[in-house]
Amino acid sequence: MEISAQNISFGYREAEYPLFEKISFRISGPGFYSLFGFSGCGKSTLARIIAGFLEPAAGSLSITGIKNILLSYNTERLPGWFSVGEHLAQVVSPRSSRGELDYFISEFGLSNYVHKKFFRLSMGQKNRANLIRYLVQDFDMLICDEVLANVDEPSRNHILAVIKENFGKDRVLFYISHNVEEVCLFSKKIFVVPASDVTRGRLVEIEGLDATKKHKEDHGNEKTLQTTILKVLKAASSAHKQEGES
Amino acid sequence: MRLFQFLMIFLIGLLILEGVKYGAGFSDYLIPPLNEITTMIFKKWRNFLMPSLNTLLVAIGGHFLAIVLAAIVAFTARSGSVLSNIVKTAAYNLQAYPVVAIAPLVFIFLGDGLTSRLLIATIICYFPLLLNFLGVFSEPVLDVEHFFKQTGRLDSIMEIKIRVFENLEKIVTVITGSATLAMVGTIVAEFLAATMGIGYVIRKALYQNNLAAILSCLLYIGLCSSLYLLGLEWLGKVIKRRLIA
Repeated sequence: MEISAQNISFGYREAEYPLFEKISFRISGPGFYSLFGFSGCGKSTLARIIAGFLEPAAGSLSITGIKNILLSYNTERLPGWFSVGEHLAQVVSPRSSRGELDYFISEFGLSNYVHKKFFRLSMGQKNRANLIRYLVQDFDMLICDEVLANVDEPSRNHILAVIKENFGKDRVLFYISHNVEEVCLFSKKIFVVPASDVTRGRLVEIEGLDATKKHKEDHGNEKTLQTTILKVLKAASSAHKQEGES
Repeated sequence: MRLFQFLMIFLIGLLILEGVKYGAGFSDYLIPPLNEITTMIFKKWRNFLMPSLNTLLVAIGGHFLAIVLAAIVAFTARSGSVLSNIVKTAAYNLQAYPVVAIAPLVFIFLGDGLTSRLLIATIICYFPLLLNFLGVFSEPVLDVEHFFKQTGRLDSIMEIKIRVFENLEKIVTVITGSATLAMVGTIVAEFLAATMGIGYVIRKALYQNNLAAILSCLLYIGLCSSLYLLGLEWLGKVIKRRLIA
């Protein structure tokens, strides 16, 4: 399982500057990876390029050992004519099972809400319902673009731990978030997109704590976590500072 | 409420007309007295209600036909194919043409029977429906469709289902609005050449300078079309309630 981006450039037609110029990165092997950066740095665009929704203007993106890439984002909605439970039951892929679906519904704290229509749920519940339906699909790589943006922190940590536990060994999970702590805690590797008008060159790669459910409860990691957070924040703001200084 | 509003407006109009008559000193021949109008409305109700219902039935038929036709054309034209682009361009250009002007041609080719009235009613309300359906059917609802597209579940039926559901309010509004146009189309057809319906009764009353009869026709047309609109609004509410509840 490998994704290798070489000198990818991309810009929106109406934009003054390109968003990326010759950027490179490499994801190798299954696990939980994160993409971190400040708002507007192009995280979602990069996710759409990886998922095949956007074509880079230049450079190459080679994907090996990964057939199905799914991209989920936080403003997605379930169809309104079904209850959440009916919809989820209908979209379970043949590879997953009803038991698996029920497990996620229970773990994500939605058991009491599946009889409701999607628009009657709170924002956080909507995020969780949307994520569940992706987890019961056939995928080799799941890109989660701020899918838990409206979920409270303890629930978010629990959900991420559950996802890692179930898919971290044989799938690629690519998590995009603004929450630096959860990114550092759960990720095997963090790709940092610097805050800059144009992102150039190789994305900064920082080793994460790759915590599991068990490790998360272990407070011995607190110092390492703080160090990683500082490293990520420094990398994310470095280009911005350089531009300001020059 | 809609019915009550119509009756109030009709009554106010009638009083203004009588006020103008007495103010300007017009004769009873030009504007009949109130009692003559009310006698016409209540005692000869059969002469107006039956043709009004006849017109209403033709309008409903024409309206239904236009809805089905617009839905079929919009469904086939929703893709980005050359044919769909031709259909869209033709629809946008044709809707600027006053289609009622082609009504005499319809009578020449099809005679003054039911078919002509039905066809004219359909033509008149077809274009607003088509434009609305084209817009709804060809505008993706990305936040809902994204999942289905990625997982290979987005077939034509699912696509239309999502888009119709997300635009239900807009569709109900345009269907209700075009119902009035269907009534207009039918009455115009009856004015022109038909031998049935309330438009035909108005035409006869016009030749006889019978203002009381014309005002009675207006009342019954108004009642019938208000009832039809009420029915459509009720149907829209039922559908929405069933789907959303």
